[in-house]
Amino acid sequence: MELLIIISTFLIAAVIGLLTKRRRLIESAAIIAAAIALTETIFIVMKIAAGQTYQVGKLFGIDALGALIILVVAILNLATSLYAIDYLRRETAKNIIGVNRPRQFFILLNLFSMAMYLAVSAQNPILAWISIEATTLSTAFLISFYNKPSAMEAAWKYLIINSVGLLLGFFGTMLYFVSLLHGNEAGLASWQNILENAGRIDPFIAKIAFIFVLIGYGTKVGLAPMHTWKPDAYGKAPSPIGAMFSGALLPVAFYIILKFRVITDSIVDPIFTQNLLIAFGLISIIFPAFIIMVVKDYKRLLAYSSIENAGVIALGFGFGGLGALAAILHMIFHSLIKAALFYLSGNLMLKYNSAKIENIKGAIKVLPWTSSLFLVGFFAITGAPPFGVFFTKLIVFATGFYTHPKISALALFLVAVLFIGFFRQAMLMFFSEKPTDITVEKEDFSLIGPAMSLLLIVLILSFYQPAFFQTLINNAVAIY
Amino acid sequence: MSMMLLKILLEVIFLSIVFLHITRKNYDAAVAYGVQSLAVVLVIVNAYLQNHDILLILIALLTLIIKVILAPLFFTRLIKKHALNISVNTYLNISATLIMIVVLSAIAHSSKLAPITTLIPENQTLLALSLSAMLLSLFLIVNRQGAFSQIIGILSFENSIVAFTLLSGLEQSTALQFGIIFDIIIWIIIATTFISMLYKHFGTLNVTTIKNLKD
Repeated sequence: MELLIIISTFLIAAVIGLLTKRRRLIESAAIIAAAIALTETIFIVMKIAAGQTYQVGKLFGIDALGALIILVVAILNLATSLYAIDYLRRETAKNIIGVNRPRQFFILLNLFSMAMYLAVSAQNPILAWISIEATTLSTAFLISFYNKPSAMEAAWKYLIINSVGLLLGFFGTMLYFVSLLHGNEAGLASWQNILENAGRIDPFIAKIAFIFVLIGYGTKVGLAPMHTWKPDAYGKAPSPIGAMFSGALLPVAFYIILKFRVITDSIVDPIFTQNLLIAFGLISIIFPAFIIMVVKDYKRLLAYSSIENAGVIALGFGFGGLGALAAILHMIFHSLIKAALFYLSGNLMLKYNSAKIENIKGAIKVLPWTSSLFLVGFFAITGAPPFGVFFTKLIVFATGFYTHPKISALALFLVAVLFIGFFRQAMLMFFSEKPTDITVEKEDFSLIGPAMSLLLIVLILSFYQPAFFQTLINNAVAIY
Repeated sequence: MSMMLLKILLEVIFLSIVFLHITRKNYDAAVAYGVQSLAVVLVIVNAYLQNHDILLILIALLTLIIKVILAPLFFTRLIKKHALNISVNTYLNISATLIMIVVLSAIAHSSKLAPITTLIPENQTLLALSLSAMLLSLFLIVNRQGAFSQIIGILSFENSIVAFTLLSGLEQSTALQFGIIFDIIIWIIIATTFISMLYKHFGTLNVTTIKNLKD
């Protein structure tokens, strides 16, 4: 029931956006939809944490990891909606966008969020694929939102690369249905049906299928070398959308890969999927480490950080055991911190009218709250103590040292390089001399509140994890 | 439907993609995609004749309307509107392209991939042809420098997967097939809209000259 309410609410909010041009009404609808979605999600999460199975008919259901991911999606959707209202108003006031553009923004944001809920809760792999494809379709116009040639190019690149990736994923998905080829379970077969009949899949086909799925959905996650769309899309999309991409879409797509991994591991030696995840994870850390020093745009910097963190998550799941537990926690921490960093990058953008690092000078004096929070977020995401990411990275690499010491050592070295690169870039932006033409103004809570709240949640979760949260993490680790 | 007829349909799909590699006219490419989609429609009709699932006829009808009629119509209007009749170049010259086509077809027919092409042993030739069509479509996407060709390549790839799944018995419930077709129509609308916007901004659809994104 809760899931139906959430989906209907997003749909209604999108339809309101279609039917009216009244900005306040559209904004209110988005906020109310996000608030209802979060409330209902909390009910779902609590039910699952209490040991109940959450099933809506045959088509939809949510497990422990799915519950954690939709909770992240719901929190980010609310924070993004709240942030975007003032952000877009200021962009309208500066004539960066037309008065009707926020309408398009909120319609697509609601459809995007709805698609993510459907992807996580879909019990059928094809339905999950359709939902993930819907996230591509609903967000392409959000990347080209500013209607500039560079934004258009980024959106085109995103559309083409992700469409090819998802078609590869679709082919891989179809190959898993070999398990039901000679049975009576065809049609709306669930993940569980496929898992139960996995023994019928030829191990060679299972391997090929997983490679296709990993490349396909890995494109959506932004794992290297399929990451090429990511810096462009993150760099050109409005900051609140960057937050949703990095914070919400990444774990959703990763979740689908993990679902297929469970099936594959029941057919072939789990070392096969482990090695693939480790390989893609390591490559995803190598690429950003090479480029971080020369990145000139701070939103692209955040994109490369997302690729690195996707790599850390892949490594964690690849190493398994405690590494998987750390990977799940890392996924959650990364989502919340990275979304906060994107909101704060939006504040820098509004003030300096530029995404170039060289144009951001003396930000700590101009935007003290934004800059301070950005630095907190920077230390948090790069794995500085006392934030949880420090512990999750530590556990991932410590687990890896037992089984893959050379890979872990290399990854640890690269993460250190990334820290230095990120640190250097951040220092250039915040501690240089302020330009004389940039005035210091009071920062509004509407623009710093959402980021502050997310960082606060991360800080709390770094020291104290409520019982329901621990239960879900433990249950998720048991499955994935 | 006889095996011979199915084989002809698969050959039409395969040859249409070979043609897409060779042709330099976007209008011909749009027509070739329509013909290829018509072959896919007939493969779906064949699935109906075997399963007697009336919804498959609906799927075939929808595919006919969307892929055989509407999509080529969209494309030809786009070509006329922006005078895009001549497609932009390929990365490989025609000889190298043809060699790649042979290599990819050989890979699809190789014994290494036999577990995939023998999902239904009696359809091995057909499945190998579908797999070849998939590989050639992927190659089309990466080898062509034009945004329009990339769209056609992606849609051909999707058609090849549909043919493969139908012939390997992996087709999904009709409800899900409706969902997939819905996705495709939205995708076509969005992609053609983007083509128009790209042309408006850059005055060309050659992706090698669209380079505004730099670090």
